[in-house]
Amino acid sequence: MSSQAAETSQLTATDIASRRQRFAQALTAFLPASCILSTTEELKPYESDGLTVFKKTPLLVLLPETIEQVQAVLRWASETKVPVVARGAGTGLSGGALPHEEGILLGLAKFNQILELNTELGFARVQPGVRNLAISDAARPHGLYYAPDPSSQIACTIGGNVAENSGGVHCLKYGLTIHNVLAVTVVTIDGDLLEIGSSAMDSAGYDLLSIMNGSEGMLAVVVEVRVKLLPTPPSAKLIMAAFNSVEDAGSAVGKVIAEGIIPAGLELMDKPAMVAAEAFANCGYPTDSAALLLCELDGLEEEVTAQIKKVSSVFKACNVSELRVAESEEERLLLWKGRKSAFPAVGRLAPDYYCIDGTIPRGQLPYVLRRMEQLSAEYELPIANVFHAGDGNLHPLILFDANIPGETKRTEELGSRILLLCVEVGGTVTGEHGVGVEKINEMCVQFDEDSLVQFHAIKAAFDPDGLLNPGKAVPTLQRCAEFGAMHVHHGNIPFPNLERF
Amino acid sequence: MSDTDNPAPAENRPTSSQNWPGQDRTDQLVERVQQAITDNAPLNIVGGKSKSFLGRSQTAPSLSTLEHTGVVSYEPTELVVTVRAGTTMLELTQLLAQHGQMLPFEPPVLNGGTIGGVLACGLSGPARPFAGSARDFVLGMRVINGQGKALRFGGEVMKNVAGYDAARLQVGAFGTLGVLLETSMKVLPLPEAQLTLQHELQSANTTDGIVKLMRQPLPISAAAVIGTSQFIRLSGSASAVSAAARTCGGEEVENADAFWQSIREYEHPFFSSEKALWRISVAEYVAPIELDGDWLIDWAGGQRFIKTDLEAETIYAAAAAVKGHASCYSALQMADSVALFQPMDGVMRSLQKRVRDSFDPQRLFNPGRFHPELDA
Repeated sequence: MSSQAAETSQLTATDIASRRQRFAQALTAFLPASCILSTTEELKPYESDGLTVFKKTPLLVLLPETIEQVQAVLRWASETKVPVVARGAGTGLSGGALPHEEGILLGLAKFNQILELNTELGFARVQPGVRNLAISDAARPHGLYYAPDPSSQIACTIGGNVAENSGGVHCLKYGLTIHNVLAVTVVTIDGDLLEIGSSAMDSAGYDLLSIMNGSEGMLAVVVEVRVKLLPTPPSAKLIMAAFNSVEDAGSAVGKVIAEGIIPAGLELMDKPAMVAAEAFANCGYPTDSAALLLCELDGLEEEVTAQIKKVSSVFKACNVSELRVAESEEERLLLWKGRKSAFPAVGRLAPDYYCIDGTIPRGQLPYVLRRMEQLSAEYELPIANVFHAGDGNLHPLILFDANIPGETKRTEELGSRILLLCVEVGGTVTGEHGVGVEKINEMCVQFDEDSLVQFHAIKAAFDPDGLLNPGKAVPTLQRCAEFGAMHVHHGNIPFPNLERF
Repeated sequence: MSDTDNPAPAENRPTSSQNWPGQDRTDQLVERVQQAITDNAPLNIVGGKSKSFLGRSQTAPSLSTLEHTGVVSYEPTELVVTVRAGTTMLELTQLLAQHGQMLPFEPPVLNGGTIGGVLACGLSGPARPFAGSARDFVLGMRVINGQGKALRFGGEVMKNVAGYDAARLQVGAFGTLGVLLETSMKVLPLPEAQLTLQHELQSANTTDGIVKLMRQPLPISAAAVIGTSQFIRLSGSASAVSAAARTCGGEEVENADAFWQSIREYEHPFFSSEKALWRISVAEYVAPIELDGDWLIDWAGGQRFIKTDLEAETIYAAAAAVKGHASCYSALQMADSVALFQPMDGVMRSLQKRVRDSFDPQRLFNPGRFHPELDA
């Protein structure tokens, strides 16, 4: 994760300064001066996103206020051949909104209005800078909500969610962003306005909405999003189950599903993660056990009651060492609190930690954990694991100390080995954080050359000059060399107040 | 470097240990596409030939996926099945049912239909508005592109944001973005209980009542209107279904499975007609469309079938007027000059054409079958 993203500009400081001035001048033709940021102090807050180990200063930051302005800027960028990086709240963890030194950063923060909240027809039309949680907050009084709930939902924006195809704790049952977005209005690099998707359940021609979701700002700039609103489930209950082996916990998950039950959330912690979370949150986890499952069920009261009974008996048949159904809403939230603070909790155990974001087929968990134990011993670095057991998304946290010479490098290598392991068992190098600049090299392991060539061809169909977010998400063939992971220094995680899991 | 360079020990691969019958014809299919590239000669991709009523029929030599069959892996507790494109829907749905599972988007089985065909045509059944569509359940795909390369997009896991989602893009592309080889799909448990309620409406073809019910936390899994009869299907635990039935009201329908199956398979008496059958896709809450013909309304109002003798242009104009789109389900009886899918224009058309270019620059795959305006 060190060198690959630092593709520094060939321009001299003087070139940069003169270009910055020239572009700022030219752009006043389309934008009020107040929407153009160009001084060092103004640019500083935009030099990275949530992955702060990568920093670059853009030529300019533009904060347009209307769609017409976005169109004019992109038309200008297309004619002038200037790179454009779009940005929402900048909470992403893979450097997807890392600026381009020779380009402009297009901030969409001013597009923060809910344009239509149609509670009768079950949808909302929102601007891309609207925060994820703001949609549910607005819909909740009407008994509706927006389902995808990435952990950073209090701050992240819906435009960024579309770019990353964000998930959340509940995606096994309620799907990812792609399953809950009905249409997006985008501006193409040519400055054309285009609606992709519609109010109908499908559209004529190719399903371009499929590739817009998760395209990491590489294909077009989203200026409006139409999302589905679902009725809020009347009941939600949480079961905590502890096991004496990870195998037992893993097989319990499989057996719940074999019973025909799809939990709303299903989270697994290994012993190191559980111990750290308990020390941090005092939520009553049985720290003498080897693995902990949190299983949430939601729906109609009748359904949830029946499922709680079934799940409890499944767990009992899987050598559960302790079983607890949260009796009150307070208890439910307390049990979740431990899980939700697992990252900062683990962060207290060592000066630094790396967070890996891979997905594996669920059944591979015991094997992957065993292999990770071996790797952990080999590299002499402890690992704690939190696992979205429902959908197979694994977040190993490697503990290290960057001040010990060579330890950062060893940690990077270990991170790479873990991601390789995910691919080896049929998984993926990123379940939810995106590729960005962070995992661009791991893409070479997961995809063969021909598939990468096809990705570049798709990109060229939208953006022939490669001006939108250049260098992100899909590696060039020459670049397929190194691997990386998220680096957290001295607990100094970006947006430390946000839940991360 | 490909993902096969570092195989996990056999016992740890995500595939189930079971040996499924079937055969891998990838090499032969790739060879055939490469020959077509050399000859610059288009191919007519076919499976079970059960969907010739959709899209313009082809004169080019056939490329059949029918021998490329079998389940590659299926582990019920992973909720994922990986299957080759030529596997018939009948085999696949029976296998899933044996394990108490299903394809939640309820695709039609048809006579000899294959999973490849279902995905190429992007077909989803009555559950679609509630469970999701065919593309929603696709996790990964292997395809041969117009360069004759076998590619792999997505994977076998539910959460995967590596690379553009070119697997889901293939769904509903009628093979014009590649030859589908293999797909991994999310599957779900069959519901414990189901119940269908019939309710008589004041006026025909209205979906207002359904739209209201959809805003409530009810386990609705299908909703249709035929004339003044409204049908609501509830699925879930027995207790939830009976509780919801009290909220919804209406008469319980006997033999409801057969009713929904007849809609999914286009076998309901409505579908047998001399007149042409068209599908209009529109927001479920749109008021009855004023076109002269007989209607069957599925997908809670999102998918409306009309039997009519009206001109294609009239139908396309009416669909566009309500921000929807239309397609013809009686392709075989239409003259060559008639567009069978709502024509596109402007920026959308140019963009879609460039997407087609990026996968199939020589227009080898099914030229004319889908949107001819993208083939020029």
